Amino acid sequence: MVKKKIAKVLAFRYKILAAILILLAGGLVLLPKYQKHEGIKPEELLSNSISPERYMTTDRLAHIIINQDPSFILIDVRDEKSFASYTLPNAINIPLEKLFDEGSDNYLNQNQYDVVLFSNDNFYADQAWILCNRLGYKHMRVLKGGINEWFTTIINPLKPADNMPATDFELYATRKAASMFFGVVYPEQVKVEAPKIVKKVAPKKVITIEKKKKAPAEGGC
Amino acid sequence: MKELEKTKRISIAAVLFILAVIIGLLTYKRPKNTYAINTKSTLEKLTSENYLVALNELNNPDYVLIDIRNQYDFDKGHLENAINVYAAEILSEDNIKVFEELKENNKTAVLYGNNPQEPNAPFLILYQLGYENIKLLAIENSYLQNKLITKNSEIEKSETDVTAFINESIKKANTAPIVKVVVAPPKKVITVEKKKKAPAEGGC
Amino acid sequence: MGPLIPNGVIPYEWDNIIAILIGIAFGFVLEASGFSSSRKLSGVFYGYDFAVLKVFFTAALVAVIGVYYMDYLGFLDVNQLYVHPTYLWGAIIGGIIMGVGFVAGGFCPGTSLCAVAIGKIDAIVYVGGIMIGIFIFSELYPLFQPIYEGYFYGNVTLEDSLGINPYWFVFIFSIIAIVAFVISDMVQKRVKKIFY
Repeated sequence: MVKKKIAKVLAFRYKILAAILILLAGGLVLLPKYQKHEGIKPEELLSNSISPERYMTTDRLAHIIINQDPSFILIDVRDEKSFASYTLPNAINIPLEKLFDEGSDNYLNQNQYDVVLFSNDNFYADQAWILCNRLGYKHMRVLKGGINEWFTTIINPLKPADNMPATDFELYATRKAASMFFGVVYPEQVKVEAPKIVKKVAPKKVITIEKKKKAPAEGGC
Repeated sequence: MKELEKTKRISIAAVLFILAVIIGLLTYKRPKNTYAINTKSTLEKLTSENYLVALNELNNPDYVLIDIRNQYDFDKGHLENAINVYAAEILSEDNIKVFEELKENNKTAVLYGNNPQEPNAPFLILYQLGYENIKLLAIENSYLQNKLITKNSEIEKSETDVTAFINESIKKANTAPIVKVVVAPPKKVITVEKKKKAPAEGGC
Repeated sequence: MGPLIPNGVIPYEWDNIIAILIGIAFGFVLEASGFSSSRKLSGVFYGYDFAVLKVFFTAALVAVIGVYYMDYLGFLDVNQLYVHPTYLWGAIIGGIIMGVGFVAGGFCPGTSLCAVAIGKIDAIVYVGGIMIGIFIFSELYPLFQPIYEGYFYGNVTLEDSLGINPYWFVFIFSIIAIVAFVISDMVQKRVKKIFY
């Protein structure tokens, strides 16, 4: 008798359990669907893209290039033509429209290097940055002012007037030295240096981007 | 009797499972703003469509000017008939309503700031949220004796040919063609490994 | 938010510790549901005990429903979950071999270790067999390599290959599971009871 009762209770419980499972699964089908987010929330993206944190000054970038800091990758988001005519040393060309093409992902979405995006000013670079930020790519920077700013500050720095403070002169001296590094020759420099011009051949550097470690999952039984 | 205890365990687990789902559903808040297009199609549209407006095109009756600078700048001087929506608050409920209304009325919102870079981020975010009736005014604002001066500005214009400048400087410096001091910065070879999916072992 | 480790909520270094904890819990559940008995396990093939079918089907159901609810509520991103890559013929041949081993030995690799833990002699023999199999496979690996690494289809899911809506799939799957439970109960009643 007792056994029969238990069996009845059991059968009833199993029926309820089965009903619950079907209900929950059916609920999944019936739930209102909404467009899934790709990437971070719009609000987050807005606050990220409004903050000037991503900008890097040309002076800082020049310092990085001169010191051959190995932890930076420069990415030129202009088209191939402008890339061919002038670009920053060691820059990689990923035109804006090819930002999400296969292969670019390896440069953009990684944790090994800091990526500095630049274009003629920072308009396209910003757009690239915002799109990448939405996808959650980390370690991205934008060169403030782009190539135009680079030209006016580093390549062709403005000589300060006599009545300017000493810091301006110091800055000018640094920038001038930097511009020499990037290939600009000043008349007074040649007089001194002309006899012994050394062809600078820096060691070739090979940057390999390691694939991200994906935690291999183990299935078990 | 043992069997009965077992079923109790099952019931408890089932109740907990349902509770978790119900609590999840009750506390769930639908995100207010969701992207309408993904990054790839955004990029496609960005590179194919013309979203820039110049000053002389502004007399289009469908255009509604939106000033994304802050209140202070706006009060100091702004373009005629512009609405002030500060960039940082562009996603707040009231402001989203403004854009929605414009969309309904088939008007085009034209964002501007002190330079073309400033409205870039709000423009791009609204664009991704699906407000396609949105353009960017490529102008530069400056003040001269407290008067707002607005002029067209071309984005991504290459102002100078840097290579030419460098070559020029070399030419100027040494008239005798003895040396070329083109310090060609070392070319870095950046090799990228193809991402491989780590093969995982499953055992059963 | 989730999955927790790839999104950095839990540091990557913790995964082995978590694996051990989950493994202990898993072993406990296996043993508690009686899966360290080879008779119970092979019962599913002879029709006198369908516990294996019920446990694994229910586990899969609860997991899949839970995952999709969490995905819907934004706690978990289904697209970030690991999908096991498909090597078609390797999987088919391996599955056949494992199935034969399962029927013949009465254990699957996981439960055999569980049974070793409680000191079953048949399980110890079974694990010894697994080791010999691993040894043979490793020695003859160059021979098996084309099958082992060939017919690669990528990390495909049913959703990709059938183009079916995952929510409908879950619903249909749960109905199939419950029908299977009912049928297995009916079969069990007809088959002669075996006490073990």
